[in-house]
Amino acid sequence: MAETGGYNAFEMARSQFDRIADLIDLDQGARDFLRTPMREYHFTIPVRMDDGSMKVFQGFRVQHNDARGPSKGGIRFHPQETIDTVRALSMWMTWKCAVVDIPLGGGKGGVICDPHNLSMREQESICRGFVRQLARNIGPLSDVPAPDVMTNAQHMLWMLDEYEAIHGGRYPGVITGKPVGMGGSLGRTQATGYGVVYTLREALKELDIRPADTTASVQGFGNVAQYAIELYNQIGGTVVCVSCWDQKDQCPYAFRRKEGIDLEGLRSITDPFGGIETAKAREQGYEVIPGDEWIEQDVDILIPSALENSITADNVEKIGKRVKIVAEGANGPTTPEADNALHARGIHVIPDFLANAGGVTCSYFEQVQSNMNYYWEMDEVLGKLDVKMTSAYVAVSELARRRDLYMRDAAYVVSINRVVEACRERGWV
Amino acid sequence: MPNDAAGSGERRTPDGLLESLQERAKELNCLYHVEEALRTHENSLEDALESVIDAIPPGWQYPDICRARISVEGLDKRSEGFEATPWVLTSEISVQGRTVGSVEVYYLEGRPEEDQGPFLKEEVRLINTIAGLIGHYVLRQRLQDVQKDWEALREQGETQGTEIWRSPLHLLRESDRGLYLRIAHKMLNYLCQVGIDEAQRTLMGGEPTASTEQGARGEANVPACPPLQDTDYLLSDAPFELASRYLSQTEILTRVQNWMQEDKASTFLRVLNNPRTSLPEIVDAMRRFEHGIPDKLVLRPSTLKTLRVSLTQRILTEQIDFVRVAKENVHIEDFFELSGRMIIPAGSHGRLGGKSAGMVLAHRILERASTPERPIGENHLPNTWYLPSDGLLDFIGHNDLQDVIEQKFKDTDEIRREYPDIVRLFKSSTFPPRIMNGLSVALDDLDDVPLIVRSSSLLEDRLGTAFSGKYRSLFVANRGSKSERLAALADAIAEVYASTFGPDPIEYRRERGLLEFNEEMGILIQEVVGRRIGKYFLPAFAGVAFSNSEFRWSPRIEREDGLVRLVPGLGTRAVDRVADDYPTLLVPGKPNLRANVAVDEIVRYSPRWMDVINLETGTIETKRVQDLMKELGGDYPMLREVFSSLQDGMLKQVPPPVMLDAERENLVATFDGLAGRKPFLEHLDNVLDLLEAKLGTPVDIEFAHDGERFYLLQCRPQSKADQSTPAPIPKDVSPDRVIFAADRHVSNGWVPEITHVVYVDPDGYAELAGRDEMLAVARAVGKLNRLLPTKRFILIGPGRWGSRGDVKLGVSVTYADISNTAMLIEVAKRKGEYVPDLSFGTHFFQDLVESRIRYLPLYPDENDATLNERFFKGASNLLPEMLPEFSHLAVALKVIDVPAAADGLVLRVHMNADLDEAIGFLEDPDENHAEPVPVEEKTSRKPVQYWQWRLGMAERIAAAIDPERFGVEAVYVFGSTKNATAGPASDIDLLVHFRGDEKQRRALTSWLEGWGRALAEMNYLRTGYRTESLLDLHLVTDEDIEKKTSYAAKIGAVTDAARELPMGTAIEGGV
Repeated sequence: MAETGGYNAFEMARSQFDRIADLIDLDQGARDFLRTPMREYHFTIPVRMDDGSMKVFQGFRVQHNDARGPSKGGIRFHPQETIDTVRALSMWMTWKCAVVDIPLGGGKGGVICDPHNLSMREQESICRGFVRQLARNIGPLSDVPAPDVMTNAQHMLWMLDEYEAIHGGRYPGVITGKPVGMGGSLGRTQATGYGVVYTLREALKELDIRPADTTASVQGFGNVAQYAIELYNQIGGTVVCVSCWDQKDQCPYAFRRKEGIDLEGLRSITDPFGGIETAKAREQGYEVIPGDEWIEQDVDILIPSALENSITADNVEKIGKRVKIVAEGANGPTTPEADNALHARGIHVIPDFLANAGGVTCSYFEQVQSNMNYYWEMDEVLGKLDVKMTSAYVAVSELARRRDLYMRDAAYVVSINRVVEACRERGWV
Repeated sequence: MPNDAAGSGERRTPDGLLESLQERAKELNCLYHVEEALRTHENSLEDALESVIDAIPPGWQYPDICRARISVEGLDKRSEGFEATPWVLTSEISVQGRTVGSVEVYYLEGRPEEDQGPFLKEEVRLINTIAGLIGHYVLRQRLQDVQKDWEALREQGETQGTEIWRSPLHLLRESDRGLYLRIAHKMLNYLCQVGIDEAQRTLMGGEPTASTEQGARGEANVPACPPLQDTDYLLSDAPFELASRYLSQTEILTRVQNWMQEDKASTFLRVLNNPRTSLPEIVDAMRRFEHGIPDKLVLRPSTLKTLRVSLTQRILTEQIDFVRVAKENVHIEDFFELSGRMIIPAGSHGRLGGKSAGMVLAHRILERASTPERPIGENHLPNTWYLPSDGLLDFIGHNDLQDVIEQKFKDTDEIRREYPDIVRLFKSSTFPPRIMNGLSVALDDLDDVPLIVRSSSLLEDRLGTAFSGKYRSLFVANRGSKSERLAALADAIAEVYASTFGPDPIEYRRERGLLEFNEEMGILIQEVVGRRIGKYFLPAFAGVAFSNSEFRWSPRIEREDGLVRLVPGLGTRAVDRVADDYPTLLVPGKPNLRANVAVDEIVRYSPRWMDVINLETGTIETKRVQDLMKELGGDYPMLREVFSSLQDGMLKQVPPPVMLDAERENLVATFDGLAGRKPFLEHLDNVLDLLEAKLGTPVDIEFAHDGERFYLLQCRPQSKADQSTPAPIPKDVSPDRVIFAADRHVSNGWVPEITHVVYVDPDGYAELAGRDEMLAVARAVGKLNRLLPTKRFILIGPGRWGSRGDVKLGVSVTYADISNTAMLIEVAKRKGEYVPDLSFGTHFFQDLVESRIRYLPLYPDENDATLNERFFKGASNLLPEMLPEFSHLAVALKVIDVPAAADGLVLRVHMNADLDEAIGFLEDPDENHAEPVPVEEKTSRKPVQYWQWRLGMAERIAAAIDPERFGVEAVYVFGSTKNATAGPASDIDLLVHFRGDEKQRRALTSWLEGWGRALAEMNYLRTGYRTESLLDLHLVTDEDIEKKTSYAAKIGAVTDAARELPMGTAIEGGV
């Protein structure tokens, strides 16, 4: 969309790519190829509305790059969706899949619509219309959609059903994010949180620190945080502080217990959205302190796993002297200024798209299982996840050490390089 | 009922008293059952007696050995095991003064001597009452027979031509002489009217005078006929023989029949219209009328309406709008039914009050208006008993508590101090025996389900809904023995009565000039809708619904589509707004559109807590939904309608009970099953439409569903409180004073006296350097939210407030960043070819609803909509001064001090959904139409007093500070006290410029702490708001002031600067 001024998500994604391309001294042909998505579909989805009228929605699907395998990426329902947003996100998916070394490319899709204005039946019509338009251009071997902003498992099942109706067979591998029993994979709830700690464990190993000697402070108490804490406890670590949003007081609180938090105890007083009851927490022996103090704790490890932009220029200076590792469980928790400060202090950062890649890895496992129509037990899923995350981490950190790169840059270098290699070997660039 | 029932002299010991009370209760139950039996078997004497005979023995002192016998009209009914013994009590049944039978009660064995043999004197009265009731019944039956005969005869009349009128009239003469006389008189009158000479002569006392002249003058002189005194003549057949010469058989019979009906109606009307008749008398007259005229269709519609109007005024409420609607919808038999559930104080002239009236009326409207095209489903009324409004005075009189009446003329703090004593006093007082008896009967009828005691104040009638919720409603678990339950119920009623004298309602009345209005409060004793599950009692769900919605999250939703707030469990959580919980919002007119669509959004905004009654402890408990559902699981009524199961990021239908593992299921209250698979919302929509149409005003209703049936609990005109009235749109505002005007998707409401506008310039925002700067705008707004005066500023910005992900589309705030704003405006400015969609606040829609933040979408490029960009561009921007760290955003973010930018004017926003127009305009803050609300809603509430008192106190503190001792350089006041916006809960913001040492600092803070606590206590007495300390203390140093850090920036600030207070002036005076 040609808008005046301001910034553009796609332009940002491109400039980020350009920076890494410079680092790896990428030739112009490969640059040109990777700066632009390989394929884009723009199409209309006519829908008969509940009141009998007809409304036409605009849909997109962008396949940025499928050199390493079928494109993978979510479908967003958003009222102000733009093709540039979708392009940027599809590019980001390419890097994300490559950094954990799973054989998938990057894609993204979207429909310009606001589900707040749509009934479920109308949303179903959009989902089915989306697949009717794209039935020949997606598939288990070419492009695999998944849930994203304002879409969920229900939307995926409608799409799957439409796809299978058109192709006359059962193709559960065409879509991920399905419920267990309908082609979904076990371990999805745990995957992201566990993935964070698999990489954290490797980082500690690398820094030659025994997990049992470490303490951590965690921002957030949602899914990611809870499972990260669970596994971190299992490997011997002690979490002394967690923070979460308090709906009643409209501010975050942090819950601190020097001898370590009791995960099960806290879970029992937590609502489904990750809010902890302050009064009961006090009863359990927690100090309730302002939420932003999670970052000031005297710990070895910080795990921001709640919001974007949590570590900023304002608070990066408050990070305790002891802190050695920041494992980014959330997406984009560190602002660029803060990132520079962390770099300067020599804090070991496990960048978000590596640390929280457990989720996309599990989606890949779901697709694998769907394609062979054989589903693994939990142990098998988590075991394979461990292997993937560990080797992904090792690849990045080795490079970082070898070339003295900042971890975030190293991750991009590894990932982009893998994609470039695949393109080159195919003779594309 | 005997008024002295509890006073049987001999047994004055406490035990004796209780026993005696229990006896009275037995008698009342007995009487109640007898009446019930006679009512249900209206057409068969034999059946009726069959039931009556069983109802009698339980009313006597020794039911086991008590047998009864009734002989009447050739029937002879006896209890099982009947035996004639010497211990007998007899009462004759008489009709029209003639004995037609008897009621006898026997004891099979001897018992100690009481007032009359082994019988109590109350039992004598009881048997007489029963005999009287049977007598009435027999008479009524006879009259009905007469009527039937007539109807039959009238049909044959024309053909047979004989004098068939004769035998029914004889029967009438025998059964009701008075009526016969009146009818005969009417017949003569009629004959006289149609010009029969003979009749005129008879009426004139046998003297035929100037008949021709009178005849010539026609009807005009008819009224001149003097009344005839000759009853003998009337009692003979003569008038009718005369009539039969001129009129047909049919005409005679029809006229006689109509006159008989009218006669009954007019007797009834006479009773109703006599202001001296008491409620018991009215009920009695109504009973006679009901039984006398089973078929109301024979009455003229005007007569019926007159009766209904009078009944409504005497029994329900005098409110004129209500009466107008009620006369069409509430029938006489409804009042009759209602009267059976009223506990009426002796000589009562009370009414049931607004809440009861609204409930009864709505229920009747719905009962009679369902059509197949617009089905409304079943609507039930929970079993309810009513205590009329003067029960309170009866109670006060009975206990000599008249002193409390003067309570309302005392000072608020005195009232507040004394209120606990009044509650204690009321709860230790007793109810008059007649009321106790009534409550006992009510309890037997209601059984042992939990009850709610609600107030139904007559003030609600005057004030509208604004007054509701000021008095207490109490739940009664209603467990234990009968006497325990009775005591608990009486206790609850006493407490509700006491709440009339509570500080808050009195204060509220004082503000509205209604102190002198004598408070009368009706009481509803109502079964709680729900069912028992384990140790809990709860409805499947409950809620409130509005026929007009002031909150809409989608342009597809019309205001008339309504809004419903649903919660699982008791409805308390749907009625009140609680900060940390959300009811499920649905739109009855658009059942398929949901406020929350993403799964995490649905989960976050789903009810987290549930109110239930714990039957073991007898209290209401607030339980976490998750925990309670693990306990209740599949036993929860309508589980699959109310809840969904959260699995793998998907909300699914709850598995069937047999498959359900409540321990592991993650249940979320979504009401998906109710909205999607049941016609519930369609019915509700029709109910709301119907009630709105009939009542002629938007309504809100409260309801509950016990899993099987839907109950309507309350219906009233939609609340106009909370600044949600349609505000008038002034047309004479000069264009340069209009800041914005909107004409699409407007809700009702108004926002007065806005002093600050936070304006995100659409063009400036779009041109910011990047994502980080745009995110910084959101952070700046969050800081402004804490710095600007609460609810006195509004936010205006492009596109979607709260946009996540792509921040270009709108400022990426969270709810916490905007929580103090009065209003949120989204500007959809055309960009080239297209106009961006707005969010309608969907990112935090439910938070906006709960905290009543107004929302307005603005389309400045369309029709008459405007956005006065010149004003925004011209006004100076306070951002750099207020938040220097964000000054680089000044091009996109403007903070405007409205009075400073507009020569002392403030901004007002008026929104009118009826016109679909809104306007924000500049106005003089002193122009005294602060509240554009209808006069009766207008309050004389003066926020003035809160800030004035606070400022006075702040001045006194400053005056008492010893600058030397404490090392204080200056003292300032700022915030709501300085800005004259303080409310009853506001604290006083004191800023102290401190130069002392650590010791002085400690001394100063502890000295001020003492002040803070003392002021908090005073404030509590004045307002009822409890706070730890009323002082919010901020110490700043020279360094702070120099750097303008934190609150130091308030000193000499460009906007909203702190005000310095003179210090130490009181030291010499020795304060």
